[in-house]
Amino acid sequence: MPRLSLTMKEGTVTQWFKKEGDTVKKGEPLVEVLSEKATYDVEAPASGVLRKILADEGMDVPVAGTLGIITAPDEELPEIEVAATPPAVEAEEAVAVPERKIEGRIESHIIASPAAKRLAGEHGIDLTQVRGSGPDGRIVEEDVRSLIEEMRTMPRVREVIPLTGIRKTAAERVSLSAQTAPQSTITMEVDMSNAAKLRERVGVSYTDMLVKAVAKALTEHPIINSTLEREQIKIFADINIGVAVATEMGLIVPVIHNANGKSLTEISSKLKELVEKAKQSKLTKEELTGGTFTITNLGMYGVDVFTPIINPPETAILGVGRVAEKPIVVQGQAVVRPVMQLSLTFDHRVVDGAPAAEFLQKVKQKLESPDALLA
Amino acid sequence: MRRITYRDALREALREEMLRDGTVFLLGEDIGRYWEGAFRVTKGLAEEFGDERVRDTPISESAIIGVAAGAAITGMRPIAEIMFGDLSALAMDQIANQVAKMRYMFGGQAKVPVVIRTPFGAGVNIATHHSQSLEAWFMHVPGLKIAMPSTPYDAKGLLKTAIRGNDPVMFFEHKLLYPVEGKVPQEEYTIPFGVADLKREGKDVTVVATLYMVHKALSAAEILSKEGIDAEVVDPRTLVPLDKQAIVDSVRKTGRIAIVTEDCKTAGVSAEIAAVVAEEALDYLDAPIKRVAEPDTPIPFSPPLEQFVIPNEKSIVKAVKEIVY
Amino acid sequence: MYRKMLEIRHFEEKAFELYGQNLVPGTLHLYAGQEAVAVGVCSNLRRDDYITSTHRGHGHCIAKGAQLEKTMAEILGKKTGYCKGKGGSMHIADFSVGMLGATAIVGAGIPIAAGAGLSIKLKETDQVVVCFFGEGGSNQGTFHEGINIAAIWALPVVFVCENNLYAMGTRQSRVMLIENIADRAVAYGIPGVSVDGNDVLAVYEAAHEAVNRAREGKGPTLIECKTYRHKGHSRVDPATYRPKEEVEEWLKKDPVLRFKAKLLETEVLTGKEADKIEQDAIAAVEKAAKFAMDSPYPAPEEALEDVYA
Repeated sequence: MPRLSLTMKEGTVTQWFKKEGDTVKKGEPLVEVLSEKATYDVEAPASGVLRKILADEGMDVPVAGTLGIITAPDEELPEIEVAATPPAVEAEEAVAVPERKIEGRIESHIIASPAAKRLAGEHGIDLTQVRGSGPDGRIVEEDVRSLIEEMRTMPRVREVIPLTGIRKTAAERVSLSAQTAPQSTITMEVDMSNAAKLRERVGVSYTDMLVKAVAKALTEHPIINSTLEREQIKIFADINIGVAVATEMGLIVPVIHNANGKSLTEISSKLKELVEKAKQSKLTKEELTGGTFTITNLGMYGVDVFTPIINPPETAILGVGRVAEKPIVVQGQAVVRPVMQLSLTFDHRVVDGAPAAEFLQKVKQKLESPDALLA
Repeated sequence: MRRITYRDALREALREEMLRDGTVFLLGEDIGRYWEGAFRVTKGLAEEFGDERVRDTPISESAIIGVAAGAAITGMRPIAEIMFGDLSALAMDQIANQVAKMRYMFGGQAKVPVVIRTPFGAGVNIATHHSQSLEAWFMHVPGLKIAMPSTPYDAKGLLKTAIRGNDPVMFFEHKLLYPVEGKVPQEEYTIPFGVADLKREGKDVTVVATLYMVHKALSAAEILSKEGIDAEVVDPRTLVPLDKQAIVDSVRKTGRIAIVTEDCKTAGVSAEIAAVVAEEALDYLDAPIKRVAEPDTPIPFSPPLEQFVIPNEKSIVKAVKEIVY
Repeated sequence: MYRKMLEIRHFEEKAFELYGQNLVPGTLHLYAGQEAVAVGVCSNLRRDDYITSTHRGHGHCIAKGAQLEKTMAEILGKKTGYCKGKGGSMHIADFSVGMLGATAIVGAGIPIAAGAGLSIKLKETDQVVVCFFGEGGSNQGTFHEGINIAAIWALPVVFVCENNLYAMGTRQSRVMLIENIADRAVAYGIPGVSVDGNDVLAVYEAAHEAVNRAREGKGPTLIECKTYRHKGHSRVDPATYRPKEEVEEWLKKDPVLRFKAKLLETEVLTGKEADKIEQDAIAAVEKAAKFAMDSPYPAPEEALEDVYA
């Protein structure tokens, strides 16, 4: 099972293209796996015969786990591999099992007094939800009683939706982001009059312009195009801009690789392609990974300013609000212009407010003089 | 109400029952007019009722109890005194195999109204053979009833019931309780067996205690109340029959129980009470059952050693604090 | 007396037989051979006198006047037995005829008998108590304590020691240096007499004197009756520890046969009368056996009854 992203822990086998006994050629797609948000075709690492499938369709396999075994046509199935499942492990297990079983039971056993258990049973309380105040965390009757009281004041529940799939992954990622990076958001107002004109003339979207503007600004402020890994700020070599796309399944962030090396029109067509694929869950691994900066747009919902959460392990994320006609003051005069709010959230461990503001200013400037983006 | 000592209360019970029923008589070592009882309980009775009805015996514990048995099954109501509870071992066959079993093994033909009085307890430095608490031995013999009064009031009432009943009764007293005073009404009263006494009402923890330990438990309760723990002290008064309901009801109320007895911990009376609580009140326990008892040693002689092994207020308070949190 | 002795003899033989048919649970300690002692002593007693007995107590029980039916039923463990099936052979009792119970603890009956004697003394009646025990029991601490207390209190008890030479498999000479248990009476200051336990008239005489002493308030007596078990200690004991010659010697002194001979010799009975008495005894035993066998067992829950009043 290959590692398909920085944070992947395990993948699901969705479809084998070959069956046991088939001949395979190096590089040919062997099995489709699903991880976090996208499917990926695992290619045959060598030519030979697919001797054994160890991970059946539907199975979850941890990263670096074995999916199958390919041998040369006349080669014996290596016993060590085969034994990697039942026998040897079994022998070990046979000795260790009793201990493990008891340990397991003790570990999962909740320590609660009989009175607490009785009260919990009477009220249908799940003891795993109760914090014990007794010695060694023992749950006592009072603890259960408190929870019952608390629950009496809680609103009623109408529907329960389990947290799974993409939602679960998203929940995990934002938790990670919030826990590791202290994040601060600064906002700026952008006069989109010229951008509007460019849009009409060339047919590129605001988002296309944003990608190009950000990419250029990042070349001027590389510190924003980085990641903090333990005690090192690593400045990325490439500028790969992820654009958040809301789909039925949740938020997906396809990546435009080497955004600064692409022209505005190239960015535009690429983005269209990616969005289409995203909506059909057809994005490849490459298209979903390698991002160094993310742009997220809530403008279509009427949002002006918001506080996006950084897409880990990046250093910043740019939130884009709606473009709306608003009265602003230009050279002392009140005029009505299409105005857009930008919200930049940055990792305060890597940059302070000033450099972040400088970067944001560049983005604003490039958007207000967008013809330069065509270059 | 008048206050009299535990020993006076016992004497009154003996005297009143001997007046009431001519078949009641006493036998034991040195209970008569020459010594008047090792603990003076029988003082004056030989003078009043004569040497026939208040009989001094040779030092023959087996014979004392055997004679009591023979007299009981032929229509008398003997009250035998064994000078120290430890010496009951000498009469064990007569107690456990004869007295306790005659009614049953003869199919109900025999009535065995024997009362055997004897003191238990440590605290006066008379060492290993005169300081034990052996009630557990007898609790384990079907056919015997056991009374253990902790106050003069309980002593008189329970002894009367023991004498009037038709079953053998082991009547366990305590050396340190003999001089203790308490309120005892002038009027006649009896206390039924199998009814515990709530010596102190409380809500945080149940403390079941017997005999002398009742007083230790009450002292401990005072100390605990100053620390905000309200202890309920339950005195079973009789071990057989045991008022299980009272103990269970108390545990239901408080959720915690400490059992304090003066016998050795292993297989002691507290173990039986703990088992009863676990069987019948488990779902009301909010903490483990605590037992406070003597360690599994004989009673030593030297004061610091003896004091170490007897449960006291400190050990009771400590035990209670381990389960009230 | 003759009839009684025959009843005992045939009763024991019947019990032996029923045991062989697996109708007697547990074990039996047969009295056969010692009839002269029980009958000789108990013939001196009134219904309101008391006796205490031992594990080998059928003879005492019958001699004191117990019903054969209820005795047999108890041995078979039936509900209709004296003890409702709760006691069995070793714990027979019939309080209605003063039989205060057999105890299986060797020597335990001695202080109990003294207690019954004390009861009599306090009630100031002229009843007496007879305490039966074996020579093995005379080594138990209770022998010393019980007889001493009866002596010092001058209790109306006759202590009858049935010396059948063997305590289970242990011969008397291996566990005491003295030959006559009666000699121990000296230690307590009471009279002690040794008699031929297989001569019912000799036993009767000795017991007569002792019972009268007791009734007159003159205190206890120790009577030693030299006798012999015809069979082993218990039903399953083949008694191979007894020399054959010894057994044969004693069988020649069979108390029942001796008495029969005496009765015929002194023309108290004719041969026919003697046989009739025996037939009656046998019939009575048969009747008892039938009663016992036809009786039901007690209900299992009855095990919980009679512990307390």
